[in-house]
Amino acid sequence: MITAERKPIDEIMAMIAPYKRVLVLGCGSCVAECAAGGEKETGMLASTLRMANKMEGKEVLIQEKTLDRQCVKDFVILLDDVIGQYDAVLSLGCGAGVQAVAEMFSELPILPALNTEFLGETREQGYWVENCLGCGDCMLHFFGGVCPLARCSKQLLNGPCGGSRDGKCEINPEVPCAWQAIIDRLERFEALDRLEQIYPPKDWSRKQGGGPRKIMREDQQR
Amino acid sequence: MESRVIPDTKAQAGKQTRMTQARKRTLALFYCQNTPESGEAQRQALEKRYASRLKLFPIPCSGRLDPLHLLKALEEFADAAYVIACPEGACRYFEGNLRATKRVDRTAQTIAQIGLEKERVGIVANSKENPKPLAKLAEEILDRTGELRPSPVLERPRRGKGTKEKKDDHSRKKTH
Amino acid sequence: MKDVSRLKRVLDQGGFAVTAECGPPKGADAETILKKAEILRHTVDAVNVTDNQTAIVRMSSLAACSLLKSAGLDPVLQVVVRDRNRIALQSDILGASALGIRNILCLSGDHQSFGNQPQAVGVFDLDSIQFVQVVRTMRDKGTILGGEILTKAPDLFIGAAANPFGDPFSFRVIRLAKKVAAGAEFIQTQCIYNLDRFEKFMAMARDKGLTKKTSILGGVTPLKSAGMARYMKKKVAGMDVPDEVVKRMEGVPAKKQADEGIKICVETIQRLKEIPGVRGVHVMAIEWEEKVGEIVERAGLLPRPA
Repeated sequence: MITAERKPIDEIMAMIAPYKRVLVLGCGSCVAECAAGGEKETGMLASTLRMANKMEGKEVLIQEKTLDRQCVKDFVILLDDVIGQYDAVLSLGCGAGVQAVAEMFSELPILPALNTEFLGETREQGYWVENCLGCGDCMLHFFGGVCPLARCSKQLLNGPCGGSRDGKCEINPEVPCAWQAIIDRLERFEALDRLEQIYPPKDWSRKQGGGPRKIMREDQQR
Repeated sequence: MESRVIPDTKAQAGKQTRMTQARKRTLALFYCQNTPESGEAQRQALEKRYASRLKLFPIPCSGRLDPLHLLKALEEFADAAYVIACPEGACRYFEGNLRATKRVDRTAQTIAQIGLEKERVGIVANSKENPKPLAKLAEEILDRTGELRPSPVLERPRRGKGTKEKKDDHSRKKTH
Repeated sequence: MKDVSRLKRVLDQGGFAVTAECGPPKGADAETILKKAEILRHTVDAVNVTDNQTAIVRMSSLAACSLLKSAGLDPVLQVVVRDRNRIALQSDILGASALGIRNILCLSGDHQSFGNQPQAVGVFDLDSIQFVQVVRTMRDKGTILGGEILTKAPDLFIGAAANPFGDPFSFRVIRLAKKVAAGAEFIQTQCIYNLDRFEKFMAMARDKGLTKKTSILGGVTPLKSAGMARYMKKKVAGMDVPDEVVKRMEGVPAKKQADEGIKICVETIQRLKEIPGVRGVHVMAIEWEEKVGEIVERAGLLPRPA
């Protein structure tokens, strides 16, 4: 899933300041899972902003609505009937969602209420960790299911570096050393000798080589 | 609210309309249904006794409290919104009261970011040794929140730069 | 001076090599690095120049090495993979060789969050082991990554770093083996205070046949104070400072602690000389370069071969 966190309220207030009729738009997918932009959070933000505006004596229409997903055109298009009532949309979608809405309603300012962060997993309730870089060339099968690119601070394919200490990364004792995890994992599979080979330089062209990426599937198109 | 409190807040808040001076503050109180003497009959009696100063909302467990409830209350009618929870270790659903505390803390931080006093929200855990009935807790919390000035969210707004002064809103409850 | 690696020559001739470290200035002043070089001129075989160590911006190690080369010393160019992609790295290798620099140490580099540019992107296009392999291939096959042929191959004595004290201990020798397999001809280790643990590491390295394929130089850093000993013990990742060493520093009055630190350093070197497979010592006396001469002399390692 994609994780995100809400921007500070004062930053959001500054963003919506020029507008008089704002739609606060939530998303029921990833950002709901990480408690940043789902229906609840959207309701809370809208209520908070209304209170803030009241206190400043500003007369601003702030209404909320939540879509199942903001990143899929078929859902965004459902706003067609109501979008005319607003002069701006404050989106609680991830960056992909904000942009998809902006793509559909390009005459309206679509403002991001969240800072989109990483691809990751819900390790525990209320605790999300980054685990994938979207490199386009997955190598998880070599490393016991632990990604050395996303989870090693130095993206080492032939780690660990000299700074690994007690299974933690040199940059911060709270960050687990991915290479310690890889070694532990491979030891369990009795495959530690796999790490004696030298993994060659990463092909980054699968991530950046062609600029912003796309996938086209004709068999999926209308 | 005793009127003795109002002159102080009036001095601090500066210009206030006559309506504000007279408006009594309202506490929204969400309480766990396991609180002693908190049945429907007691709830009605309390609301009658305190009239518009107190609005009571029973919930099956304080852990079911959604911060949205507190925010909506503050937005629409309450000067303060509090939660009554069971004592630590006594939650029927084990951890509801602990979770509620964390959520209330976060709500307090959120309202602080827009300039509202953190004390406008809070959670009170009933005593383990001497659990108090709802009426007593309500009285204590009313006292505690009595010092807060009337919520600026519910006031007639001061004229801001370039905004129209809000017309008299008849839909808002007048409590004088 | 001819463009030859003095360090390599000393090792080839079976000698016990001595190298030291030199940090470039935080400015464009060439004189600073040249002054440091003068202090080290007759005390070491080669001088390492660090590459934006701790992710703090300093004069580039390539430029500093070039200055040292012009002054007649044998520099070891330290290169981290944190700041440059493969294009820049390979380009710098060609440039270094063209400038007559004959030694290179391939490193990962401290993470950018430690330094004075924490908002920088960390490049890490290659890792240090892949980098060793790339340099080796450029030198021995005359090709860059992807196979394109160079007009002239670089001439460099290739080294890598090793930390015998990082976690996990069991993996450290496997990592060393990888560096050797990638083509590392000399290794400089993290500074040593725990000789027992280092001896275990060396035994494992000998068992794996690594000491025949590469020249391991043990790293040493003289302690200036008991405070420094405690700091390195607690705060520096990958460092093993035994309690006895800290106690020894603490057991001496403050004014005498620097001397004690140097004494410990000299004793460490003397012990290193006895360990089979240790081919030299790498003295890292950061901002204390003036003591290197004394340490090397007291360890019985002067004069250096011509």
